[in-house]
Amino acid sequence: MSSIVILGTLEQGLMYSLMVLGVYLSFRILNYADLTADSSFTLGAATAASLITSGFNPWLATLIAFFAGCLAGTFTGILHTKFKITPLLSGILTMIALYSINLRVMGKANISLLRMRTIFSDFSTFTHMEEYSVIILSIITVSIIGLIIYFFLETELGLALRATGDNEIMIRSQGVNTDIMKISGLAISNGLIAFSGSYVAQNQLFADVSMGIGIIVIGLASVIIGEVLIGTSSIGRTVLAVLCGGVIYRIIIAIVLQLGLRATDLKLITALIVIIALISPQIKNKLTPIYEKIQNKLTPLHKEKDKE
Amino acid sequence: MLKIENISKTFNKGSINENTALKSVSLKMERGEFITVIGSNGAGKSTLLNAIAGNFPVDCGKIIIDNKDVTKFPQHKRANFISRVFQDPMSGTAASMKIEENLVMALKRGEKRRLRWAIKQRERTFFCEELKKLDLGLEDRLSARVSLLSGGQRQALTLLMATFKEPKLLLLDEHTAALDPKTAEKVLNLTCNVAEATHQTTIMITHNLEHALSVGNRTIMMHEGNIILDIKGEERKNVKIAQLMKMFEQASGANLNTDRMLFS
Repeated sequence: MSSIVILGTLEQGLMYSLMVLGVYLSFRILNYADLTADSSFTLGAATAASLITSGFNPWLATLIAFFAGCLAGTFTGILHTKFKITPLLSGILTMIALYSINLRVMGKANISLLRMRTIFSDFSTFTHMEEYSVIILSIITVSIIGLIIYFFLETELGLALRATGDNEIMIRSQGVNTDIMKISGLAISNGLIAFSGSYVAQNQLFADVSMGIGIIVIGLASVIIGEVLIGTSSIGRTVLAVLCGGVIYRIIIAIVLQLGLRATDLKLITALIVIIALISPQIKNKLTPIYEKIQNKLTPLHKEKDKE
Repeated sequence: MLKIENISKTFNKGSINENTALKSVSLKMERGEFITVIGSNGAGKSTLLNAIAGNFPVDCGKIIIDNKDVTKFPQHKRANFISRVFQDPMSGTAASMKIEENLVMALKRGEKRRLRWAIKQRERTFFCEELKKLDLGLEDRLSARVSLLSGGQRQALTLLMATFKEPKLLLLDEHTAALDPKTAEKVLNLTCNVAEATHQTTIMITHNLEHALSVGNRTIMMHEGNIILDIKGEERKNVKIAQLMKMFEQASGANLNTDRMLFS
């Protein structure tokens, strides 16, 4: 792989890892399969892109993209907590509704940001780092947000959020309003996902209405990869694992593409990664007795041999 | 302290599964009283506890705690002054979180939870002292995940979490029923110690008639959504288990049909 490909992969990985952190918050911390992600990613990209093309400051546009995502998450949360719609369905409903809203926001199916002022062009002129400016800015952003989320999860409120996903009965009997916890958790989650979308759009210099399709599965795959490879022994480690998972996923994809697969095969591969990760514990459980049986049959043989 | 006035609750109203769990129940409780509740399955014992804790709105009636009408309070608001220990040892603690994290969440009950680092050295010292009282060796395992603990240990931990903020009212819903006899005895002893030490106002459901009379200072019996027996003081001291069963048969006009009560 050429150095440009490697650099590009890392840049993309870092930007997507913010989205992975968002998916981690809803999927693991809140134990909530939130499909809003697919559209809130696009919402972030669409919001930032259309604000930038209409002359907005790109930094401000990125911040607004974050809050747009928060709004989407809040909507899903309210559908679930106040109106008792199942998590899956409330996510899907928001996702579908946002598809139309995203088209409204952009006014057309895609927006080009060529020769526009973006956070990356700003950062590049400011620091004079030319080709490394994108990755430096990404590293800074991911580090700051990773630390914020880690600290948040260790605060009193953060503990209440984690307990909401772990044992709702328990934390409610400790005086926590779990509805508010779920809504704010989903808001932060989708805020991060939209934020990630706005970064990706500004880096690839366009926003497309379908760029978020399958984001939730990519997020899941990355969360699982990170957890398996780096571990989950503490919250700090898990946050790090999740962020690295996002980057590692991109690296795997880059390698697969270099091997000659088509870009259109990516979603299939992503789904396969998630399926393997989800079924492997079951396969392991089924194989363990067989393995033990074989071992038990082998041990007496060994003993007999020893006697001889 | 606690005043319940004519509360009723019917589940699945208007359907074939209609089930009246509480029929105009009234109960008055003084500070420091420890009530044990007995009754056959479906008598409305758990429903009564859930109604007090606010799991569901009652159909009619009033629940007053310390002269404050809490009937309309949602569950999480009532939790500021009511603590609970559930029958299922898994219900009272968050399994994926550390012992100290569970404890600190209970320590913040009734307070505003802020964006502030949750566990500092001061809390750890306090938790160590509290856990030593349990005598389960948990004080050395503050940063272990709760999922690594046994059911009995988890229930003891839940009891500690429920009481170290001294709630106005402690609700125990057969909290020893899912434990092995030895652990159950230990958790029950802990309960009695805590209740005595702080004069904790407590309601405990039990299926064990011996415990119903030996623990606490007042016993009520429920049947088909009514309180059919309420004894305390001298009267309670003179009652034997066999008499209690007879009282039940007379009051309810039915046979006490639970083997569980006889043999436990």
